[in-house]
Amino acid sequence: MRRLILRVHLATALIAGAFILVLGVTGSTLAFEPELDRRLHAHLSYVKPSGRVLSLGEIGDAVSRQFNAEPIVAYLPSRSADFSWKVILPRGIVCVNQYTGEILGVRTRGQTILGFAHELHVRLASGDVGRNILRWSGVATLISLASGLYLWWPTKRFRICGCWRSREFWFDLHNSLGVLLWLPLLALAATGTVIAFEDQAADLLGKLTRPVQVRSRQSITRREPAPGAQIITPDEALAIAGAQMPGAIPYRVQMPRYGGAYRVSLDDPGDRVTGGHNLIVIDEYSGGVISSTRSSDLSAAQRILATNEAIHRGDVFGMPTRIVAWLTCVMVPVQVISGLLLWLRGRNSRVAVGKGAL
Amino acid sequence: MKTVLAIVVLFGMGAIARDVTGAWSGAFKVNGGDHGVQQLILLKQDGVKLSGSAGPDAEEQYPLENGKIEGDHLTFEVTSGEWKFRYHLKRTGADEIKGDLELKSLNNGRSAVISLRRVK
Repeated sequence: MRRLILRVHLATALIAGAFILVLGVTGSTLAFEPELDRRLHAHLSYVKPSGRVLSLGEIGDAVSRQFNAEPIVAYLPSRSADFSWKVILPRGIVCVNQYTGEILGVRTRGQTILGFAHELHVRLASGDVGRNILRWSGVATLISLASGLYLWWPTKRFRICGCWRSREFWFDLHNSLGVLLWLPLLALAATGTVIAFEDQAADLLGKLTRPVQVRSRQSITRREPAPGAQIITPDEALAIAGAQMPGAIPYRVQMPRYGGAYRVSLDDPGDRVTGGHNLIVIDEYSGGVISSTRSSDLSAAQRILATNEAIHRGDVFGMPTRIVAWLTCVMVPVQVISGLLLWLRGRNSRVAVGKGAL
Repeated sequence: MKTVLAIVVLFGMGAIARDVTGAWSGAFKVNGGDHGVQQLILLKQDGVKLSGSAGPDAEEQYPLENGKIEGDHLTFEVTSGEWKFRYHLKRTGADEIKGDLELKSLNNGRSAVISLRRVK
């Protein structure tokens, strides 16, 4: 039995090892993607808090003056006082100092090194084929973890001895690191596999839990605006949305030209997992709330999937779990390489023994 | 004279048949994505210019930008927020349009295939 499990462990590692390594390396980059992105664009991302925060109208005016009244798609207020606000235009994303109205610069859309890391992590940057390879690499990681634990259990080896050139050193490293990382790696691999098979998981969860249609808490029937009717300002839309969800922090105001109505997204700071799933849709003429979708209205299946994603991203308990997720990803390549070295050294010694016997 | 008239009428009918004005519905699938994304595109053709709107349904529509039509080829852009969609379409039948879609957002770029049919 042990021999069979060892063969399974080896086979899964040899088949999927390279892809698991890619998942680890890219995952370690993505664990701190927002922070990295801000560091890479520091002059556009950070501001010094000073005085009052300008209204959306004032920020919109500053952007319109600079960009020849190009229509504003959406405002993205930042969630931190020292991060700049963003204004989305068709040409790109304008970064604005929300205290002075200074235009810090424009970011254009398109793939960057961080986006490429994300593409590698999700689909090996090669479409459907890559997506399927990585899906099954997640399953292979789970098999490898289960078989690895089975192999480790009898000896329960947790030490590192010998010179780094010796097989013993790599054997100890592989064992100790494997056990140390076992639980966080299991969490990352399992949640990643669920994300990779999200459609199937959503179907299954929908059947297991009673599917609940997300209902609007309040709605009005939209009417044709009266001739000459004026649209409400984004600041008024923001105030209406804020009154619907006191204490929530708005992080996006989409303009009615883009989507047919004001769409205000709010974050409930008390709910780390699904707190960002709040959307108030407001009629641009009457100011009436067309629909109000709250994170508390999510179905059990949606909540489970959101929690799964939060665990995978390391967001579930904030910074401590993000650090654990990052450390685990950083160590994955070490685990893959130590396993490969063990296999190569074992294979070489078997070949030598074989040659000696001849 | 009759021949000339017939040709003019035929070409006129062809031009009418080629007009893409109207509602088109279908879906796009991102290469490496899980599922199709619904699309409803409302096109207005004025010569070689294309205007109108596009979105997932009639309730949520975004204006077309830089729309033009050259022969059977249609190109236009839609900004839906962080994402910019660039459509490169070809009319493949009287009531059918197919093509590619470039999706770009901050840091990300993807491609998709799209298929649309005229809503009657």
